[in-house]
Amino acid sequence: MPDFSLSPDLESLQDLARKFARTEMMPRAAECDRRGIFPEEIYRKAFDLGLMNLNVPAEYGGSGLGAFQQCLIVEELGYGCAGMTTSIIANCLALEPILLGGTEAQKREVLEPFCRSYHLASFGLTEPGGGSDAGSLATRARRDGEGYVLSGEKCFITNAPHASLFTVFATLDPELRHKGISAFYVPREAEGVVPGKDEEKMGHRASSTGTVRFEQVRVPAAHRLGAEGEGFPLAMRTLDMTRTPIGALATGIAQCALDHAARYSRERHSFGKPIGEHQAIQMKLAMMTSQVRAARLLTWQAATLIDAGKNATLESSVAKCFASDAAMRVSDEAIQIFGGYGYMKDYPVEKLLRDAKLTQIYEGSNEIQRIVIARELLRRYAP
Amino acid sequence: MEIQVLVKPAPETEGRIAPTADGSRLDPAGIKWVLAGYDESAVEQALLLRERSPGTIVHALSWGPAPRSEEILRAGLALGCDRATWVEAPPGFEPTGIDAARALAAVLADRPAELVLLGQQSGDSEDGLQPLALAALLGRPGFGAVSRLTWDAAGRQFSFLRSLDHGAEEWTVPAPVVVGLRQADQDPRTAKLPMILKSRKMPVDRVASATVAAALDGHPGSPPLRFSLPAPRSGAKLIEYASPEEAAQKLLKRLREEAKVLP
Repeated sequence: MPDFSLSPDLESLQDLARKFARTEMMPRAAECDRRGIFPEEIYRKAFDLGLMNLNVPAEYGGSGLGAFQQCLIVEELGYGCAGMTTSIIANCLALEPILLGGTEAQKREVLEPFCRSYHLASFGLTEPGGGSDAGSLATRARRDGEGYVLSGEKCFITNAPHASLFTVFATLDPELRHKGISAFYVPREAEGVVPGKDEEKMGHRASSTGTVRFEQVRVPAAHRLGAEGEGFPLAMRTLDMTRTPIGALATGIAQCALDHAARYSRERHSFGKPIGEHQAIQMKLAMMTSQVRAARLLTWQAATLIDAGKNATLESSVAKCFASDAAMRVSDEAIQIFGGYGYMKDYPVEKLLRDAKLTQIYEGSNEIQRIVIARELLRRYAP
Repeated sequence: MEIQVLVKPAPETEGRIAPTADGSRLDPAGIKWVLAGYDESAVEQALLLRERSPGTIVHALSWGPAPRSEEILRAGLALGCDRATWVEAPPGFEPTGIDAARALAAVLADRPAELVLLGQQSGDSEDGLQPLALAALLGRPGFGAVSRLTWDAAGRQFSFLRSLDHGAEEWTVPAPVVVGLRQADQDPRTAKLPMILKSRKMPVDRVASATVAAALDGHPGSPPLRFSLPAPRSGAKLIEYASPEEAAQKLLKRLREEAKVLP
């Protein structure tokens, strides 16, 4: 039976990420949040330490980590600052379609430079006209001689203002819906790639999010990932790999909120004793502890299945959905425990709530996750 | 050149520290062990010396119980040490004090290293004993409080600074030598993820406790009578005042009469 303790090998990875989160990320988190700073020097340090291209196999120069190892690291980084973490792990999302759908030559061409020196990549699926309904893409790919011409706009793209490479999903024929979609990779310097402004966001303010427009961008056929029409399943398989780490990131936010609340409960006095001695606070702390632990274990379970090569569609959706909801609940209660101070920006907990919110929305909204969970569940009860 | 760099596990200061139930010593249960601060500097300096003198071998050595010693050695390998040796402590021996020096000297005596490098003191027991005890046991020159350590390969000698309260001494000493380091030339590096992964698969040689038993024979460690935590800090006292002059008067009175830090 598993005892859910970590081996020394795993602990050594967790230690690295924890140290980085506590010494590099946390001291800058409040300032970056307040002023919307994209702290590139922190991202460069993350790259130098091997914390950036976690999923890229060592043969291409990446860290070559499995899902469980990635989750341990992402939880620790998420504890330090969710926004910075989103920017640090955005390469994992953007490069995953190349790992899953690229030829050997494509992998060498793209992945090796990314692992040799600091580069950011962006994953371009969502569009202004549709997020969850990814089958109805409006970005067009038109065949043109030996290659393609891309035109359209992507939005809410992490790191887009700073990325040197985009993985882009576009349709050859909108009538075909999902089956018309193909995947491409496009270097930023390609003519007609126009990144838009950095969006002002509620949370994740140390991350950078923007639109990117493709104005008649010529893409050689050699930059298509997989066959024509295979783009949609490739996008879904990509999100299958990256969904579980989002659960880990949310767990990190929740753990951070719990730690702040528990510490404050020992320090803050009301009615002649520390507020942690009031049952009203204890009930909250008990609920928060349960939520954090359940979120972590669900994430670990999904990651373990992925590493074993088993289907984890249900489990990864459960983990992402539960952990992000937990991050919302736990950070909300942390603010309540801090009372008026919790609502003030001089205290660290209101940021956690704003950061937690995005984890319910991105990489497959929680509503989509619930549809997946229900579909997987009902399949098992077929009459 | 060969460098034997000694690494000691010390309790992480952010962790929870508590005495054993009988109050005799620090309870090792639940403690997270990290590379002691000065030893971290020693590893850094060893790696810098290797970078400046290619071909140098940096060999990490630690004495103590498993698994903490092995973990500290793997931390050294992850930082870039070439090899690692764990000297197993027999049951009942504390991995500190003169026992450590005797055991480590027994192993180092057979190793023709130009430099035995370690922190000037450990992060926990703070004896500051090892550099000079090891030097005495090995019959080699030994120095503590060292910084700016350099190696002159042609002259086969080390130069360094010893920083003292009243000034600084410059030294040049022929190899072999034992050096207790105060400060490396730069802040200790952080192990990178690929190196951490690699270090987990590298061999850690083991020297069985029987090998060093003779060196320890007849010298049982002498434990302290009692271990206690520092007294908890008392709360701050607020001075109430109507004017700055009154505040200063009240503060002076308290510093004289209560704290007794002023005449």
